[in-house]
Amino acid sequence: MRITVNGTAHELASAPLTPLLHVLREELHITSPKAGCQQGSCGTCTVIVDGEARRSCLLPVAAVDGAHITTLEGIGTPDALSPLQAAFLEKAAAQCGFCTPGFVTAATALLAENATPSRGEIREALSGHYCRCTGYVKILEAVEAVAGRAL
Amino acid sequence: MKSVGASLPKYDGIGHVTGTTVYVDDVPTPNGTLWAKALRSPAHRANIKRIDYTKAAALPGVHAIVTHEDIPVNTYGHLSGLGVPADEPLLAESELRYLGQPIALVVAESEAIAAEAVAAITLELEELEPLFDIRKAWDPGAPQIHQWGNWYTQFEGGLDRRQIRKGDVDAAFDRADLIVEGVYRPQAIEHVPMETQVCLVVPEPSGKLVIHSCTQAMYFSMGVVAAHLQLPLNKLKFVGGTVGGGFGGKVDTATETLCAVAARKARRPVKWRWTREEEFLVSSTRAPWHVEIADAVSKDGWILGRKMLTLHDSGAYARFSPYGLTKHSFHHTGAYTIPNLRFDGYVVFSNRVPTTAMRGFGVTSVSYSTEIHLQRIAHELKIDPYEIRLKNANRIGDTTGNGVVITDPSTVSTIQMVAEAAGDELKGDYRTMTSAMRTGDLLPEHLVGQLGNPEDH
Ligand code: FES
Ligand code: FES
Repeated sequence: MRITVNGTAHELASAPLTPLLHVLREELHITSPKAGCQQGSCGTCTVIVDGEARRSCLLPVAAVDGAHITTLEGIGTPDALSPLQAAFLEKAAAQCGFCTPGFVTAATALLAENATPSRGEIREALSGHYCRCTGYVKILEAVEAVAGRAL
Repeated sequence: MKSVGASLPKYDGIGHVTGTTVYVDDVPTPNGTLWAKALRSPAHRANIKRIDYTKAAALPGVHAIVTHEDIPVNTYGHLSGLGVPADEPLLAESELRYLGQPIALVVAESEAIAAEAVAAITLELEELEPLFDIRKAWDPGAPQIHQWGNWYTQFEGGLDRRQIRKGDVDAAFDRADLIVEGVYRPQAIEHVPMETQVCLVVPEPSGKLVIHSCTQAMYFSMGVVAAHLQLPLNKLKFVGGTVGGGFGGKVDTATETLCAVAARKARRPVKWRWTREEEFLVSSTRAPWHVEIADAVSKDGWILGRKMLTLHDSGAYARFSPYGLTKHSFHHTGAYTIPNLRFDGYVVFSNRVPTTAMRGFGVTSVSYSTEIHLQRIAHELKIDPYEIRLKNANRIGDTTGNGVVITDPSTVSTIQMVAEAAGDELKGDYRTMTSAMRTGDLLPEHLVGQLGNPEDH
């Protein structure tokens, strides 16, 4: 099996039914996707698979053989933040930060699809992502701040 | 002072938004790291009749099984450093007091093998009747579930409760136009940090242990680990400060001590991460409380006296509960001034998971109960709920239940802001009222002689 993560192709050694989350974290040492629940209910493990936000904890890696995957590391770097990352920083939408990889990847996928989502559409896209720190308002504000701007 | 009043970027935000912050589960595990899983009590309350580890220990890939016999000091309390006697074993010995209480820690080459080994342990129990409702702890015939009895007995001066006495409560109740009573039971809340409990302990050849911890309380946890292991602090190197949410639930030292014991026994690095199920089922929670309030009130809305009984559900062991109850007791009048008080608070044991700190430890239960109670009083007296709050609000020079003179209260301005935000018009003088010392109409008879001098404090 082979996947491309953040532009780099990897031949995988993991067994086909290994969750993508484990392949990313344990085999490839890409640690931004987090294991918040490993049951598909919290959203911390979200990555972008061929343009679509997916929960990597329940996704057998065989199901994404050949896919292009983007994790938070691939969206921007400390020296070159994406506008959405910059907005999360500026609006204090990341407190402990554990949920942030899931929110930023999901919102990035949303904005790529729909550059001008309404607040309702943002909420819909981020529903099922849990954040225990921020109370969500700042997260919504950060996404709204870049809606309608180039990513 | 450049930062006062300025909006500064969050100091660790850049790592968070780029996925480069290293949480404990992201720390690369050294070669040879073993994985831990706990054998936990399947019963709320039981005696252990027999445990047989033979099959588990013989499984290929299992390196060590840690039991209470491996721990130099098995029973050390979270408040031991303050001289409070300890009641909780790190690993259960013969008694089980809550569902999920750890009995043994298996370390193996993978989490799957460790889990298989846990399942292979034979555990025979004699189940006993559990106690869940703390109000029933006093009932004749209630199960006796703790070595100190059903409630904590170790407050200063040998008291079995936290008590506050002020003024003359009986006189206030004699004088009252109305006695308003209420019972309030705020429930347990799980913190649900997005990062579950996790720890990695790496032994160094020198004998030093490097402990990657998600604790909220580094130095505190270091002291707890050192005490259980009977090691000097210079043998422990804690690496932490990056916490994926805690909210009080990562104040108790949950994983570090057992991982450290296991790493020393197996002579290998050990990592233990709790599943989301463990986090929900066995991690500590905010306590449930039982609060009974009786207030002596006058027709025009003054609170002349309060009698209050608080039961704090500590769960199976004391941990920080005496501290939480103490904070609760200091706040038992809410943000209001009541000159005649009789407060009794008990830390009551139950067969729930031990409870702990959570945002506003001990105090949210008081705010919840007293605010609803004020609402009830306003309803019974048919007076404006804002008025009763503003009348009795803490003012400069008022004294608290334990004699502190208030110098800078914010009750009045807060309630005025609440009214404004709610779009409610305050009546007359209440709109312009300030926290200044009480005089005239706002120094009612029951507070005459009760004011202190803020200059002295
Ligand atoms: S870890 Fe995948 S949804 Fe929670
Ligand atoms: S920032 Fe902590 S969970 Fe969202």
